[in-house]
Amino acid sequence: MMMRGGRSLVSSPPAFSNDASKLLVCTSNTVSVFSTATGFQITSLEGHTALVTSVLVVPPSSPAAKVLCYCWTASLDGTIRYWDFSVPELLKTIEIRVPIFSMVIPSFLDVPAEDKGKHEDLFAYVFIKDTKETQDKSKALRRQIRKCNLSKSCLVGRLILGETKKLEVLTVSPSGKFFGICNKFKLHIWKVPDQGSEHAAVRKITLHHTKKITVITFHPTQRIIAAGDVTGRILTWRGFGNRAFAGSNGIENQKLINVQEDKPGVRDNDDADSCSTWHWHSAEVNVLSFSSDGTYLYSGGKEGVLVVWQLDTGKKKFLPRIGSPLLYFIDSPDPTLSSISCADNQIHLLKMPSMGILKTISGIKAPCCYPVKYEGWGNGIAFDQTAGLVALRTENYCIQFYSLFDDRGISEVQVCERNHQPGDDVTVIVTAVALSIDGSLMSTSEVKLAEEGIGGLVCLKFWQARSQNKEFSLSTIVYEPHRDAGISAVTFHPSCNMVVSSSFGGDFKVWRCNSDISQNDQMRQNFSWTCHAVGSYKKKPMTAAVFSADGSVLAVAAETLITLWNPYKNVLLAVLGETLTPIVNLSFIGKSDNVVAASCGSNPQLSVWSMSKLSLSWSYKLRIEAVASALDLSSFAALALLPESSNETPFKGRDGVILLYNATDPVPTAIWSVRKAKGGALGFLQVNPSSVEEISIDGQGKQYGYASIYGELPELDKKRPETPWVPSFPSERPWETIFSGSSHNLPPLTKLCSAFLESLLEKRAAAVE
Amino acid sequence: MAEIRAEEETSTISKTFLIKPKLKSKPRTLPQTPESKYWSSFKSTRIPNLVSSISSISFSPSPPHPFAAAYSASVSLFSPLSLSDGDVSPSSTISSFSDVVSSLSFRSDGLLLAASDLSGLIQVFDVKTRTPLRRLRSHTRPVRFVKYPVLDKLHLLSGGDDAVVKFWDVAGENVVLDLMGHKDYVRCADCSPVSSDLFVTGSYDHTVKVWDVRVENSRSVLEVNHGKPVEDVIYLPSGGLIATAGGSSVKIWDLIGGGKMVHSMESHNKTVTSICVGRTRKENCGHKSMEDRILSVGLDGYMKVFDYGNMKITHSMRFPAPLMSVSFSPDCKTRVIGTSNGIIFAGRRKGKENVESGGRGNVLGFENISEPERRVLRPTNFRYFHRGQSEKPVEGDFLVMRNKKIKLAEHDKLLKKFRHKEALVSVLNKNNRENVVAVMEELVTRKKLLKCVSNLDTDELGLLLMFLSKNATMPRYSSLLMGLTKKVIETRAEDIQSSDALKGQIRNLKRSIEEELRIQHSLQEIQGIISPLLRIIAGRR
Repeated sequence: MMMRGGRSLVSSPPAFSNDASKLLVCTSNTVSVFSTATGFQITSLEGHTALVTSVLVVPPSSPAAKVLCYCWTASLDGTIRYWDFSVPELLKTIEIRVPIFSMVIPSFLDVPAEDKGKHEDLFAYVFIKDTKETQDKSKALRRQIRKCNLSKSCLVGRLILGETKKLEVLTVSPSGKFFGICNKFKLHIWKVPDQGSEHAAVRKITLHHTKKITVITFHPTQRIIAAGDVTGRILTWRGFGNRAFAGSNGIENQKLINVQEDKPGVRDNDDADSCSTWHWHSAEVNVLSFSSDGTYLYSGGKEGVLVVWQLDTGKKKFLPRIGSPLLYFIDSPDPTLSSISCADNQIHLLKMPSMGILKTISGIKAPCCYPVKYEGWGNGIAFDQTAGLVALRTENYCIQFYSLFDDRGISEVQVCERNHQPGDDVTVIVTAVALSIDGSLMSTSEVKLAEEGIGGLVCLKFWQARSQNKEFSLSTIVYEPHRDAGISAVTFHPSCNMVVSSSFGGDFKVWRCNSDISQNDQMRQNFSWTCHAVGSYKKKPMTAAVFSADGSVLAVAAETLITLWNPYKNVLLAVLGETLTPIVNLSFIGKSDNVVAASCGSNPQLSVWSMSKLSLSWSYKLRIEAVASALDLSSFAALALLPESSNETPFKGRDGVILLYNATDPVPTAIWSVRKAKGGALGFLQVNPSSVEEISIDGQGKQYGYASIYGELPELDKKRPETPWVPSFPSERPWETIFSGSSHNLPPLTKLCSAFLESLLEKRAAAVE
Repeated sequence: MAEIRAEEETSTISKTFLIKPKLKSKPRTLPQTPESKYWSSFKSTRIPNLVSSISSISFSPSPPHPFAAAYSASVSLFSPLSLSDGDVSPSSTISSFSDVVSSLSFRSDGLLLAASDLSGLIQVFDVKTRTPLRRLRSHTRPVRFVKYPVLDKLHLLSGGDDAVVKFWDVAGENVVLDLMGHKDYVRCADCSPVSSDLFVTGSYDHTVKVWDVRVENSRSVLEVNHGKPVEDVIYLPSGGLIATAGGSSVKIWDLIGGGKMVHSMESHNKTVTSICVGRTRKENCGHKSMEDRILSVGLDGYMKVFDYGNMKITHSMRFPAPLMSVSFSPDCKTRVIGTSNGIIFAGRRKGKENVESGGRGNVLGFENISEPERRVLRPTNFRYFHRGQSEKPVEGDFLVMRNKKIKLAEHDKLLKKFRHKEALVSVLNKNNRENVVAVMEELVTRKKLLKCVSNLDTDELGLLLMFLSKNATMPRYSSLLMGLTKKVIETRAEDIQSSDALKGQIRNLKRSIEEELRIQHSLQEIQGIISPLLRIIAGRR
């Protein structure tokens, strides 16, 4: 059994249904339909085999038809599909056979009232990448705008409207008369030919600007076009195309008239009456949209502020502090509702005149980019095993709780009392998050970076959940818990209220909770955490800490050694050692008396130590990103990064594998290959005892991916021997690679396993006696 | 309706965070118990300027429970009602004594007051007219106590330095019984609250004797040894227990059980001079009841409240002088403590009578105001549009709270506008170092602190240096401020050299740092001395 989730909601602009009660969001190769009243997902349209790039809802031809729910979708798999999304049901598929990046259907908006009886052909304009072999080598990759007859399911002739080097989004005017595209410093606008004249030449004008244009939008009623550029300026051309589109022979006129005096602001003798500029945004404008009556212009960009311009006066109104770059602004047929999509994978539904946020549809948030020093350590992600939640650090100093089963964000906890603005320097970093087994307690640590050596601060915070829905409240703050040394790991005791925090400063502290029940406050429990014990081993940096399943043993990694402690009495029990490089990840293996350690560095190692013999059982030279073990199983899973050199079959472009081991057996019982394993985390969930779950997050750059696999373990899966598991890797940007293929075509596990091991692993001296 | 629901669900994405100082760890003291709250609720009034030590205080058993205090050769009567109004002058004073008054006792109806003095004379006064009605003279040495039995209006009990306890017939001014047995000064006595015949006396011969006037041969029926000269003895309200004070201990004895010691309370540091029974309100599972406590005062200036049911101290209070006498009014509203330097601390609780009288006044006041005729509001009236706004919620109404307005301090406002230097200067001008440090930390997080420092002009730099010289060595802030001080001196060296005022600040700074270094040095010396000792102790264990 496999579940997947954590898809990007903001890869393409969403669309409202005709009664504004539903929002269609492109989520990787499906379209998810959300209810705007509740913010929950209703259904999804599944069928495309690659990323869906456009979704267009068929507007009602009459007021009574408002309840009809039909939409067109275009995808990178080269198909355009027609759906009834209320059922949901696929009605029609049109094969274009080339990836479609953007699609507009102008005639939707150009409500033809006069002739109803005659069924007209429906034309769409699509932006495609022509992958067909061409003779001309310089145009090996051509991005073309083509016209497509949807009724007849074919591309119209060899008509190529335009070609650009980069992928751009087509924009159509609300009147349905024009559509346009921005191409570097130029705007191309085409006039949609009248119905019937199928092969008539589509007329085009070009407007010029000195900066790179990022977004354009058309006025709903007048001939006004607005464009945003990379410097944050908003340009509005009024009366564009008067010459070119006016008469039948406008093109000749254009050459004749070379008057400049009455066209303020218009460059290069462009075909527009006037051009005016507004400048408020400090960075690139990403969102530009006219209100439905054309009085206001909405703009937004990287700084996360939605600006409302009154078109005639230029007066501004703001919706500030959205906290993330804005990507799309969509008006709904209901004038009181609209939506903005943010770069942090959230869609906010706005109540329109007041611009208050009604609902938020939140996807999984991207991990923040931290300075290299604070990256990794495998502690940025914590699992609530009982509720099936994952706690992630987000960019706005929050911990996001994301439900893996429901595939939606549950809540966010503000860890640092700061507001995040996109583009700010990161000066406060949440370094670790830990959850107790029952999920009612949370501990976070944060580092405030010093400014030229002064004012740095490390904080350890303890939180308690007030109710079931993960509303955490702060119970204790500890400033500088290990003097000025950073915290390497925070772990909860499995049964009692105990936390251990280990630091690079060479000591670890055991924190215990004193709960006093205050009577006046409705018997609410107040927890206060105090330091119970301090331990250190030869002043070595403590790099990882973990409790055993019953909580009787605490293992703390002191660089290359593993020290075992009695957490109650703070007595050193034994020292296991040693690995070649510092250990970054430690885990007890369920009920068995083994502990697994992963070390990184130049000599990475995955080693399993027997506690009864106090010696190494077996080890591999593997670069391990994460280790997880179930509390009640004798197996563990490790997420290993593949070496750079071995990117061959059967791991096409996949850089990581999840290995499921039995503690005593160095041969893995199961292997899954995954993409983007760097910065990933692993966790067992208790809901189904035999489910392994994987999240992989790439901390580098803006790319990130998230995948969760709930794979029944082969040996436990007697009833459903052939349940397929298909990892899917939705991501934000590199769509080309992510959705290509699945692991259906992998050989059986047993073969795969041995082949994999032989090819990749050099087996170290397995000291099994 | 949908509109309203939408309004409720509107949420904002980001919040305003105030710049707050770091949280301090709270001292781990127990929260105030209801009982100590009760005892602290006695609003204390000082009655000063009474000559010499307050040897005895006694409450009248009849309401409104005036109390008499004996000091030097006079007795003053105070009304507790006037005390609560802040009037500290005595309502009347009796000064017909030839020597220092040692003890006072009201008769059970509150009409007569017996007083003894060190000349050996006992006088009985009419409380109202303050005329001496009877003069009882038989003691040859100073009389130390006089006591009216609780249930008997005709007799008196007295004792003194002649070691004899005398039982008087007041009307006839003659001694009924001479009770011999004590071998030293008799200092105190109390009469049983349940029997008119039983009483107990304490003496400097360390013994406490229980007497019964019905016993023929006038010998004590019971004797307990306190172990120290006995200063005070009381019957506890049940009549079966007595409490004795002597030395620095208060002991509780079980008389019915044959004089067995129940408990010894040893929490005073100096001699306990006086004890009395006080009552506290106790809330048990919702219903209120009164519980008895022993109040003890001592020369160490402490008043302790002892719960003899649970055998523990429930409250302790310090006064700025040695305490000589204590008394607690029968209506549990007044607690009076006399000191050795002529000051009375009279504590009074706000009671229910005050509320009642106040309420009555209000009712009268309301009657005088005639209610205006209510007119029907019409839209022509401006108030029509405001109607219902002052309506109070009825029980069961669903309250929709308006969001609390966040109060922003000046530095918060400036920080919100990114005017960093102004924010720093504004908070430096306010005298709150925690806020200054908090603003500095916020500036560090914004990576603007050093820029602010380099932008400060001379006056503002002086302000900053003054703050640093005062606080840089404080352990709580030193990690930030020492680094900052170094940076400030490095970056602004020229400005500092060009100004004398700034040079003075630097001198101050240097001085405080030298002081801190000295402290650190001596602390290290102490640590050097202690650490071997600790190691030895650890080795022995």
